[in-house]
Amino acid sequence: MNRRDFLKGLLSTSYVVISGASVLAPLSALAKSAARINDDWLTTGSHFGAFKIKRKNGVIDQVKPFDSDKYPTDMINGIRGLVYNPSRVRYPMVRLDFLLKGHQSDTTKRGDFRFVRVTWDKALGLFKDSLDQIQTNYGPSALHAGQTGWRATGQLHSSTSHMQRAVGMHGNFVKKIGDYSTGAGQTILPYILGSTEVYAQGTSWPLILEQSKTIILWANDPYKNLQVGWNAETHEAYEYLAQLKQLVKAGKIRVISIDPVATKTQNYLGCEQIYVNPQTDVPLMLAIAHELYTNDLHDKEFIEGYSLGFERFVPYLMGTDDGVEKTAKWAAAITGVNEEVIKDLAATMAGGRTQMLMGWCIQRQQHGEQPYWMAAVLATMLGQIGLPGGGISYGHHYSGIGVPSSGAAAPGGFPRNLDEGKKPLFDNNDFKGASKTIPVARWIDAILEPGKVIDANGAKVTYPDIKMMVFSGNNPWNHHQDRNRMKLAFQKLECVVTVDINWTATCRFSDIVLPACTTLERNDIDIYGSYANRGLLAMQKMVEPLFDSLSDFEIFTRFAALLGREKEYTRGMTEFDWLKKLYNDCKSANDGKFKMPEFEQFWQDGYVHFGKGKVWTRHADFRADPEINPLGTPSGLIEIFSRKIDRYNYDDCKGHPMWMEKSERSHGGPGSDKYPVWMQSCHPDKRLHSQMCESQEYRETYTVKGREPVYLNPVDAQDRGIKDGDIVRVFNDRGQLLAGAVVSDHFPRGVIRIEEGAWYGPVGDDGSVAGGANIGAICSYGDPNTLTQDIGTSKLAQACSAYTCLVNYEKFRGKVPSVSSFNGPIEVKL
Amino acid sequence: MSELNQARNRVYQLLSALFAKEIDPNLRHELISQPAQDFWQQLATQSAFSADVKVIQEALSTLTSQADLLELAADYCGLFLVGSKHSASPYASLYTSESETTIFGEEHQQMMNYLREHQLQLTSDFAEPADHIAVILAYAGHLSLNASEQEQLQFLQRYLASWIEPFVNQVIKTDQGRFYSALARLTSAWLSSEIHWLETAS
Repeated sequence: MNRRDFLKGLLSTSYVVISGASVLAPLSALAKSAARINDDWLTTGSHFGAFKIKRKNGVIDQVKPFDSDKYPTDMINGIRGLVYNPSRVRYPMVRLDFLLKGHQSDTTKRGDFRFVRVTWDKALGLFKDSLDQIQTNYGPSALHAGQTGWRATGQLHSSTSHMQRAVGMHGNFVKKIGDYSTGAGQTILPYILGSTEVYAQGTSWPLILEQSKTIILWANDPYKNLQVGWNAETHEAYEYLAQLKQLVKAGKIRVISIDPVATKTQNYLGCEQIYVNPQTDVPLMLAIAHELYTNDLHDKEFIEGYSLGFERFVPYLMGTDDGVEKTAKWAAAITGVNEEVIKDLAATMAGGRTQMLMGWCIQRQQHGEQPYWMAAVLATMLGQIGLPGGGISYGHHYSGIGVPSSGAAAPGGFPRNLDEGKKPLFDNNDFKGASKTIPVARWIDAILEPGKVIDANGAKVTYPDIKMMVFSGNNPWNHHQDRNRMKLAFQKLECVVTVDINWTATCRFSDIVLPACTTLERNDIDIYGSYANRGLLAMQKMVEPLFDSLSDFEIFTRFAALLGREKEYTRGMTEFDWLKKLYNDCKSANDGKFKMPEFEQFWQDGYVHFGKGKVWTRHADFRADPEINPLGTPSGLIEIFSRKIDRYNYDDCKGHPMWMEKSERSHGGPGSDKYPVWMQSCHPDKRLHSQMCESQEYRETYTVKGREPVYLNPVDAQDRGIKDGDIVRVFNDRGQLLAGAVVSDHFPRGVIRIEEGAWYGPVGDDGSVAGGANIGAICSYGDPNTLTQDIGTSKLAQACSAYTCLVNYEKFRGKVPSVSSFNGPIEVKL
Repeated sequence: MSELNQARNRVYQLLSALFAKEIDPNLRHELISQPAQDFWQQLATQSAFSADVKVIQEALSTLTSQADLLELAADYCGLFLVGSKHSASPYASLYTSESETTIFGEEHQQMMNYLREHQLQLTSDFAEPADHIAVILAYAGHLSLNASEQEQLQFLQRYLASWIEPFVNQVIKTDQGRFYSALARLTSAWLSSEIHWLETAS
């Protein structure tokens, strides 16, 4: 048949598709008049800094750093990809088996990615129905909506606040205490120094640069970590690091990095390194203390006037109570640090103004409380706490701590709780004897062993019987440990709801997935500089929410409407009403101190500047008068010995800091005969945790054959026949992953690094994405938490111990599976 | 000839509609109506289309319950609503560039420009990039009635022929069902026949 006859035949059938109406429509008058090129540069901010954005045809086109950002992060190149990446959650989706069977669904299939698109009404209706069932059948102890995390920036749309206020209107739920970053540190330090210290403003950099003779970077990599901040990051700290680099070069300040690896900061500053075996920082600190004590280099007056319990610590130090004197020789055998180096280090630290800057990594390990406590004891023995350029800081690598604060009042945020006097729909506070709050990293334990009673920070915690989890702007399938254990736990859950921008692994293991838009698709307001409080930033909407995504405000306003409480939720205010309110409240609080224009002017300018702040010394007030300005400890003094902790009678966190062997430790420690390599999973250099891993083009600038890099020592790699660029299988008894080899002499023998935040992408033995739901599936991209250990740091903090992790690795010789981390659901055989 | 172009337009509209969204009860009802059956039959008279039309018709006839439609919707979701090149994302930009790029990229911009030139825009309930295959097919249908054969040919070669093959391969590789694999193959075959015919005609 010729084509003419064929087409005639088609015409004769009279069929025209109707229900599947065309995706095209005549150009509307509005669209006709819309400018094709937007010439304006709009302002916005993010964890990665503030920037200006230009659009083209309604699409973000160019991104440049904010005018005052002199040290923008390289990650600015990933910003466009945060919005326009193929991993976006485009529509509300429900796991098919859950849609068909609800709470009786086959949960062993969770993670196999068979989803269907639904409307927002349907998705939110299912969400509410699930909450109804949980509250009716089990009560509030079965709902955990408190596992929250880094969110996206913005005071109004903060994902945690919206989710918890909305879910809180429905009913009560289990919450967390602590976080994965500083779980051990923030728990122990209030006992020792009276505050979390990790989240406190620190001595100003200018004072440190002026006064310090020696700076100790202990497991600390500020040059890497200061790229991102809790609020829009100003990057001002980089100016001080640049000055420090010059001072190091000129020989005016000695900077010593105590770390198993040559850090980015060390390489930038060109400073010294003292290599220490992984997880053995406490023996090194004890030996320094021993040197100070036995050589009479400790500040007896300061110890006497400002601390408590030194005399109860000395017998342990000298070995009179346990028969082991904590000498340099003793420590050298454990730490791999030469005896003479330890002695020199002690003399150097006591020989002038010494600023100790502690990183967070060493408290993210078993007994992670100990190095932080022991470091405080060392600082106390040096007697410089409260002096500019001396003492100890636990935060100078975080969110610009150490950059002088403007002193201005910051804006508030959208309320996280119910308004005063309001009650949830299910007004039930019966947690059936279980705890309402559990340590953040123990939720998988709780799901697996409901009813179990554990010790935590002086109290007993009874695990609730959790049946439903709600996440928003949080990806625990990145930051929690031991993926295979998580899979087991998730099979016990009846319902999992996740609100996110992208198909994170958390979305994949959920039943209901709701698409939130990015910060660039909504209006908001943010503090510029979390601790510096340099100003207020308008976060102007650049483009309309992509696909069917909505802002957090809109998502949970709609949810509240299902409860008949929309007005109460929004207090009758729109997005812009709220922005004005937050701004005007801030304006009132700063009245007379900081000049702020009217909201409309601010919004047009995009920014209000609060000016530079004054320099400040941490604990100077305490040092000036400990009676008038006591610390927040029970005694008001630095507690070298804590009676309170001692009374808890824990075997893994006693009355004073001490060295305890780890469940697994490299370099001759337990388990190193079987798995000889310590895996470091530090905060990434080119992401904020798992945020920006989805930014595809940017990711491709650092991946190796599409995989997350694993950094390997050259000799170790050669021993295993591995070359730079090879695909490597890293494994232990808990799991396995594939990563791409980067061979570098910055890493010592027996140590590898895989940065956390690498998206989990399990695949089956056949390479299928669906097979990734199976226990033991290999991670195709290189998520280090496939391998880490899910144990608490101790009975005190019960924090995560990701750094107590031994592995081995080999060149991967099998059929290389595709990376499955960034795809979202894919069809599988049922 | 202009009347016959109506027939071409209808094929483009049908293919576009099937890629644009999941099959809901209304569309299913329509697709198995007598006029539609006649249309499918007529399509199947061409040997290049017959096998795939047969699969599509069979698949449509087995969609008898809401659960069946949901299974097909899950196929659609896994293929087109999530993921990147490793699934079967329906965006030209993910196939035409060497490395995987962002969505709403150059191809989207170019399609937006084309649409604007022809006084068209995307319907408000279709919140997808303009380089979605459903848009490209609908636009090709529009051109079949409103543009010279030369222009039609250039558009198809530039905007569809350049990536249809890897796209179809991805659909076939990813799809565990059979409906969308057949639809993708049929689309590819239809495109070939169109290009062949336009080349001959122009």
